[in-house]
Amino acid sequence: MAYSTTQPVSIIIADSEVIIRNVLSDYLRQCGYKVINAASSDEVVEILVDGTASISVILSDSDLGGSMTAFSLRFWVREKRPDIEFVLAGNVDVAAKVAGELCDAGPHLKRPYDPQLVLAHIKQLLATARK
Amino acid sequence: MQGRTGESMGSQIILVVEDEVLIRMLVAEILRDKGYQVVEAACGDEGVAILLSGQVVDLIITDVRMPGQIDGVALATYSKTANPVRPVVIMSTHLPATDAAIADEFISKPYVPSMLLRAIDKLIGQPWHIPPRNQSVL
Repeated sequence: MAYSTTQPVSIIIADSEVIIRNVLSDYLRQCGYKVINAASSDEVVEILVDGTASISVILSDSDLGGSMTAFSLRFWVREKRPDIEFVLAGNVDVAAKVAGELCDAGPHLKRPYDPQLVLAHIKQLLATARK
Repeated sequence: MQGRTGESMGSQIILVVEDEVLIRMLVAEILRDKGYQVVEAACGDEGVAILLSGQVVDLIITDVRMPGQIDGVALATYSKTANPVRPVVIMSTHLPATDAAIADEFISKPYVPSMLLRAIDKLIGQPWHIPPRNQSVL
């Protein structure tokens, strides 16, 4: 996966809780990322289908609302846009469930979010993707 | 309402309440490009949640018809009750005059970004400039 060195990396923060969504996206913007907020899985799909924004990472709450669950959205993105890194976030129980359903060792984050941990995680993902 | 004394241009915080994600995304991007801080909400209920959270909001831009219990007019009414001097801009395809009266500015959809920025400039005193790429109709 190639990332432009001049354009900021675009991240979708998908979370049904508006306060969490805005706090986290503000933090990541201050770190230099271009961040788009999505309140549901439907909004994530709409953003990706629209194609205007070049998305590199999606950070989704595992309890995300919408027509698709976060798990279904993960599969949809994997099929339609395998170039996008998808990070599911949830509590320990949810993370275990996610791991079981996805059958892979994909990255997971715990909620409530630690913004510094999220940033470090995204940097790690992007560094890996550049190789 | 004038910008807060002693703060630099772009320090104003605008709450954008819009259920159409692509419109919300574009409006937020335009405002951030201008130097405003933007808080986004996908419906009126979320808009009220943000106001109740203690988040400082200098101006509200809201659609009218949105999912949830609180539409744009109800959100504007709530905001005016909580803070009568905080400007509210309502964007809609059609709004009865009685409902539009609650807003400081009413912008009829579809609109171009310059209309929105002009309204914000009028209400909170921000200088504005429209990059050519943002001249699409929203």
